[in-house]
Amino acid sequence: MKRNLLAEIMLGLGGLLTSAAFFMTFFWAAPSSYPDGRVDFAQKIFYFHVPVAEASFLVFIFTAFYGIKFLTTRERIYDTKARIATEVTLFFVLLTMATGILWTKVEWGVWWQWEPRLTTYFILTLLVIAYFVLRNSVEDEEKRAVYASAFGILAFIDAPISFFITRWLNSIHPVVFGAGNSSGLEPPMLITFIIAQVGMLMLGYAFYQLRLREEELKERLEALKIEIGD
Amino acid sequence: MERSNSWRQFKAILRKDLVMELRTKEMVTSMGLYALLTMVVYQIALAEAGDTFDVRLVMPGLIWVAFIFMSMLGLNRSFVHEKDQGCMDALLLSPVDRPVIFFAKFAGNLLFLMVVELLSLPVFSFLFLQGRAGIGNPIWLLGVVLLGASIGISGVGTLLATMTVNTKGKDVMLSVLFVPLMYPLLRAAVGATFAAVIGGPGTVQTFWLFMAWVAGFDVIMVLVAYGLYEFVVGV
Repeated sequence: MKRNLLAEIMLGLGGLLTSAAFFMTFFWAAPSSYPDGRVDFAQKIFYFHVPVAEASFLVFIFTAFYGIKFLTTRERIYDTKARIATEVTLFFVLLTMATGILWTKVEWGVWWQWEPRLTTYFILTLLVIAYFVLRNSVEDEEKRAVYASAFGILAFIDAPISFFITRWLNSIHPVVFGAGNSSGLEPPMLITFIIAQVGMLMLGYAFYQLRLREEELKERLEALKIEIGD
Repeated sequence: MERSNSWRQFKAILRKDLVMELRTKEMVTSMGLYALLTMVVYQIALAEAGDTFDVRLVMPGLIWVAFIFMSMLGLNRSFVHEKDQGCMDALLLSPVDRPVIFFAKFAGNLLFLMVVELLSLPVFSFLFLQGRAGIGNPIWLLGVVLLGASIGISGVGTLLATMTVNTKGKDVMLSVLFVPLMYPLLRAAVGATFAAVIGGPGTVQTFWLFMAWVAGFDVIMVLVAYGLYEFVVGV
């Protein structure tokens, strides 16, 4: 019961923070500008694109984590948790892709560019989709859970590669944090970003918990149906 | 004592695969034929490129595309047999350690893949590279990439094929799972092959840089596949 309430609080708070960050993006954080002084309006998408991207990486950790837990304990709930974590990952991955493509069109003049970050992230998208394709093609329940867990763990290996590749290789994808000593963001920009990021993670947590609750209710319903049927 | 026992089991499973292959010649023939057909498709792809086009520029990509699809054909075959003839069940019933099964199947798949790769490379150069600029660097470098990348392909492939053979769309499922997972390895293999083929100052260094990437991928992926195999086999 306690956990359920927490999920609702997180949902409200996350919605509030991300909405607040949305207004702060346009009315408070100063627009960044190109070296020649023109205003770089497209940069505004940073306050949405980066939070969803970070969330996609962070939630994907749970796919691998619960995959390992399932394989070691064989308790079905961990497989359900891994599946829902992957669902939430897919949601964030698609948002990241959509916003990223809009930004590359404005900033680089093309919708798509095969550069290291985009390529590895595209692979990540395919792996997350493949996870569900695999689940759908196995009929036996135990096999499905074991295979999905194993594949989730293998697929997760791409996440750190995609995350760190802009820091290893020459990439035209911007690296805002961790490249040098400071991020170069002015305080209003940084605060707006942090609020958006925290709000997005809260939303991610809420989506996960609420979906899990839905799934548990479904299972209870199925069990009750069988009971009545007998 | 225990180690020699595992070694004997490993040899027995590998020998079984080799004997079966020598009798039916099914895997090498179908993989080799597939590679040959791919070459025909490549001729179509390059048909309008003209005589002055340097095929070496696209050769690394072409051969690895052929090898990755060829490997999936072989991997799928190798496990369809195990399943259809009930061989996997017998293996699981016998007191053989699961990791031994993994390494024996892995070694068998690696061997068949390498054989077909080594046969199809000369065919590729016979068909596409005659009368053009040759391989820039010592040819044994190509052997190094072939071995390095094939280890990763067979290692992960053995794990995935064990799973996909029990799914609805067997071979389609294998490619859906396999190709994206193999991306980092294939990218590095193409980079290394390109450095070996083109030649010139600095390319040997580039070659080893890409090979380090291949080796890193091999170590991580084969270890993970080995760790997961025990759970995946026999559910």
